[in-house]
Amino acid sequence: MNKEERFEHEILRKYINSDSIEKAPEGFTSKTMTRIRIEAESPVMTVRAYLNRYRVPLVSTVITAALLAALIFIPAGQSGTISQLVLKYIGNSGISLPKIDLSAMPSLNMPGWFSYAVIGIILLAFFDRALSGLFRRHRV
Amino acid sequence: MSGMDYKGDSYYIGKVLAGNINAYSYLVDMHKDKAFNLAFRICGNREEAEEVSQDAFLKAFKSLRGFRMKSSFETWLYRIVYNTAISLVRSRKKGVLAIEDFPADVIDFLSYNPNTGDAVTEFRNSLVSFALLKITEEERALISLYYYDEKDTSAISEITGISKTNVKVKLFRARRKIIEIISKVEKKNMIYYE
Repeated sequence: MNKEERFEHEILRKYINSDSIEKAPEGFTSKTMTRIRIEAESPVMTVRAYLNRYRVPLVSTVITAALLAALIFIPAGQSGTISQLVLKYIGNSGISLPKIDLSAMPSLNMPGWFSYAVIGIILLAFFDRALSGLFRRHRV
Repeated sequence: MSGMDYKGDSYYIGKVLAGNINAYSYLVDMHKDKAFNLAFRICGNREEAEEVSQDAFLKAFKSLRGFRMKSSFETWLYRIVYNTAISLVRSRKKGVLAIEDFPADVIDFLSYNPNTGDAVTEFRNSLVSFALLKITEEERALISLYYYDEKDTSAISEITGISKTNVKVKLFRARRKIIEIISKVEKKNMIYYE
């Protein structure tokens, strides 16, 4: 603030100060709370609150249900549904997935699918962290 | 409720989010005067200020879950009051006030109040309220936040969304306009007090 600004500021300070604030009218809090209670009890607000509280399980349930429905009902050509196609694909997973060579660790005696399961769990954990960060970002 | 009993904004926010709606009344009680004052300074009348500040509390309640605590609750609430009040003022028809429209002179205030000091204070308050109506709603908000709430330019920038440099420039202009209006009315009333 330069000299001129400071001078004008001081003049205005004589006129305006924090003691002269305009106070809220009598009964302001109770009136506001009445409006808030009405709003909070309205069906829209109740549904919104429910969706907000349970949004993570709701979203995952919806996605899972949609995927299951797609698997069961959407036809994958003339031979059958997607689920049949996926089962067939899983059956051939030994060919389509990259081969993991465990011969370097001869003492380990694990079933073939175990290494894929471990990799899958790690990937899902990362995915979960990312989703958790996304959903919890808005929380207080 | 006295300020001593108040346990802090975050405490009551936590209670409200846990489902205790009544805890919100503590937040309303604590911030109502400042919210109302800001709305009043922007709108220029008590009826609209009450409507705006109530709307702002309601909006804040609805969005409380999305409040990230990056700023204080007060700053966040001020931002809502500011935006609500500015929208209301911009939506209504504008009227231009002339200096002659100032409704009273210092003699009126003296006749109501025999105490000269109080009369001068009342006169000054009315004069400032009048002068605020002659500047833009944005300038009114800046003056109110800076002088009534004693916020610094960084806080004002956060509330209004105007850059800090721009806040300084706009405050300078608003200050100058108000002083000009005040000095015109005082000249008209031939007021020469310290």
